[in-house]
Amino acid sequence: MFGQLFISGLATGSLYALTAVAVVVVFRNTRTINLAQGDFSMIGAFVALVLIKSFAFNYYFALAGSVVFCIGLGILAERVVMRQIADSDWLTLFTATLGMYYILHGVAGHFWGRDTKAFPLTFDPTPINVFGGIISQGHVVNMAWAAAIGLVLFIFFKYTKQGIAMRAVTDDPETAALMGIPVRFIVLLTWGMAGFLAAFAGVLIAPIIYVSPEMMDEVLIKGYVAAVFGGLYSIPGAIIGALLIGICENLAGGYLGSHFKTVTAFAMIVLLLAFRPHGLFGIQKRREV
Amino acid sequence: MTSHLRCDEVTVRFGGVVACNKISLDVEEGKIIGLIGPNGAGKTTLFNVLSRFQDCDDGHVYYRDQQIDAKNTHDMINLGMARTFQNINLFGEQTTLENILIGAHHLIGNPYSNMLWLPSARRNERELTDRAVEIAEMLNLGDELDNPVKNLPYGHQKRVEMARALAAKPEMILLDEPVAGCNDEETAELKEIVKRINSELGITIFLVEHDMAMVMTVCDYICVINFGANLAQGTPSEIQSNRDVIKAYLGEDDE
Amino acid sequence: MADINAAFKAKMVQRKWAAMGVLFLAAVIFPMAPGVESWMASEATLIIMYIMAAQGVSILTGYTGLVTVGHGGFLAVGAYASALSTKYLGTDLITGMFVGAAMSAFVGWALGLVFLRLSGAFMAIGTLGFAFFVGTVVNNVPIFEGREGISLPKNHVIGFEIGDIGFYYTALAALGVTTLFVSLLVRSGVGRAFMALRDSEKAAEASGVNRVFYRTLAFSLSAAVTGVAGVLFAHYVNYVSSEVFADIWYSVDFLVATVVGGSAVLLGPFVGGLFVAFLPTFIELFVDQPGDLAFIIKGGALIFVLIVAPAGVVVGLVQLFRWLRGKLGGDTQ
Repeated sequence: MFGQLFISGLATGSLYALTAVAVVVVFRNTRTINLAQGDFSMIGAFVALVLIKSFAFNYYFALAGSVVFCIGLGILAERVVMRQIADSDWLTLFTATLGMYYILHGVAGHFWGRDTKAFPLTFDPTPINVFGGIISQGHVVNMAWAAAIGLVLFIFFKYTKQGIAMRAVTDDPETAALMGIPVRFIVLLTWGMAGFLAAFAGVLIAPIIYVSPEMMDEVLIKGYVAAVFGGLYSIPGAIIGALLIGICENLAGGYLGSHFKTVTAFAMIVLLLAFRPHGLFGIQKRREV
Repeated sequence: MTSHLRCDEVTVRFGGVVACNKISLDVEEGKIIGLIGPNGAGKTTLFNVLSRFQDCDDGHVYYRDQQIDAKNTHDMINLGMARTFQNINLFGEQTTLENILIGAHHLIGNPYSNMLWLPSARRNERELTDRAVEIAEMLNLGDELDNPVKNLPYGHQKRVEMARALAAKPEMILLDEPVAGCNDEETAELKEIVKRINSELGITIFLVEHDMAMVMTVCDYICVINFGANLAQGTPSEIQSNRDVIKAYLGEDDE
Repeated sequence: MADINAAFKAKMVQRKWAAMGVLFLAAVIFPMAPGVESWMASEATLIIMYIMAAQGVSILTGYTGLVTVGHGGFLAVGAYASALSTKYLGTDLITGMFVGAAMSAFVGWALGLVFLRLSGAFMAIGTLGFAFFVGTVVNNVPIFEGREGISLPKNHVIGFEIGDIGFYYTALAALGVTTLFVSLLVRSGVGRAFMALRDSEKAAEASGVNRVFYRTLAFSLSAAVTGVAGVLFAHYVNYVSSEVFADIWYSVDFLVATVVGGSAVLLGPFVGGLFVAFLPTFIELFVDQPGDLAFIIKGGALIFVLIVAPAGVVVGLVQLFRWLRGKLGGDTQ
């Protein structure tokens, strides 16, 4: 039982990680906690569902369509909303993303209804045996996807010009601007990346939690919590946080009862924040005077 | 000679770096004492140790012979020590008057009666405000009382910081680079103010400064540190002719 | 220049109190006005509760600079404290308010200690966690009776039973008290200490502000005010249950109300509370069964306000007024 809960928790956690990483990337480049990140995913899932159901796309084309759509959505959010208030304080940015949350929620509910819709299973539901635990093939595939995206991000940040520029903006936006890095473009790219990650997060988790306007609310909160594990700065920290949350909540759900699932994430974060205010891997800034 | 503030073999380490290595110095009551040294000599660290913004790993700090190395930062003002900041650290959205009043925070009395404006608190607030206005006028800020400080010119902001420190009725003020970033005119004005604070109000001044001309003309006594350790101490004329000091500063120029 | 500014400021302060006076007077007359039905008084009571809750948030978020997404938790603490004291001790509404305020203040103080080193986005998620924690407690600890909830008797104030209109006036009086309290607080030395901590912790500490004491004080005062709103809420519906008070959206709405109106302005919570509590009703006046359209309008309005007046509606209006005055050349700036 433990091994099984552990592995399926790991699989769920790897999906949370997609949201967590997006939260971190957007926060460290724009000081914005993006509360609409989950709804980017939700819209992405709806788009994929529509493409499959109404346009008879196959799964991969639907996924690709959803990715393109969500990147556009991220860029739109930056151009139309966030850029207008980029110089405002943290709280204003935070609240503005809440406004986007409301709008996306309303749009989804208006066009597709409030009821929960099943997302076609793409994989054989018969579970397979991995290291002594029983695990569904969907979980294995999801973990593989998450790992692949992680690898892509790693390569992007390590080897591409844009990725390195993005990290430079993270470390010191003013110096980056002086060095000729187009900060505005990087910010746009950041939101595009948030959309990219959102599409995968939404489409991959859709068969598990089904599609509805509220589908990503809990995932967003867990992604945010996981991001705090990395001090809202470290991508590996956020990933580890997401996996930890996935595993712990699954264990708590399995042993204590399912209504302890969400609370687990919060119990973890409150304990973490009380003892390590800047996250498990957060950098404790030296007190500078 | 009465010691007002004294540190005894203070050592501070940041990881492997020793920022202060057994530094000792003594600030005499009623005088203006300067702390100088080349960049990276540990001035700011020492300054923060003295104002309790930084713990020291070894050694002790004494305020009027009372050991203060374990005091809370916010308690220093009750002892009579106020400080300013190198990069202006004002409350930008608030007015000059409000900024000065914050300096008098430890004089507000019982916070609960203060927040409900009970009669005693009302009287107290009036007194504090009157005093804040007086201080502002003394520092030529009388016209700016209702202006948000973020709208003030740089030199004015530096003076608001000093006014805020003065509002606490301190016996000693630590000034962290009081004229850094100021033009000649502003520097001259601030220099005059520092002297007046010292002579008219009898407040002991301890300052860290890069502007040698300012330090040499204002200070009664100067301590020089280099590479986190004591290098020399003496009157301005003694320091100006001290070989070690010249070498330390010229050596820096060679780089 | 400074004199003009001072005169202008004094005028603004006068105007603020005049506006406040008119507002309260209008609120007093409102239920007696012809054509006002009792559901409107109930709606107004709801708005009063939102305003009060937002006032609590503004103490912490606006004046002390600590963003809270967890004040729904304090709403619940106040509500349950009063509900339990009414059920087991038979206290009336006024006593209930004191009990709720005291309990909330205590929990707020404790939370302030736990989150002593948090700020910004970390504080936001921490306080959100607190709201979830409160929800879990009222769901699972038997005395709170979970989803079943606790039904309360008819409301009494010093021995007299009160109906909807009576309740409205009680709530209005309570709002008057909290408004007076907040306005005194933020102009006092304590309020200055809060704002000093918000703007620069270092400079505040150098000026002798005890960070631990004032942060926890801000937390408990803020919690107490929102707690009173919770007491009103509980007695307004005569019922508390985890279904209502475990809802995270109260926390979010209170924050939105604070930001929309202007987080560090006395009139801010009034505008913001009206925005959050009245907008759904307002939309329904024009659109039948708005459903998801209400979400879109709410989000759009929120973003619009933030873009046009990032410091909140009240500050935006003051700026607009100043600009107009300059344009029309009423007097020289």
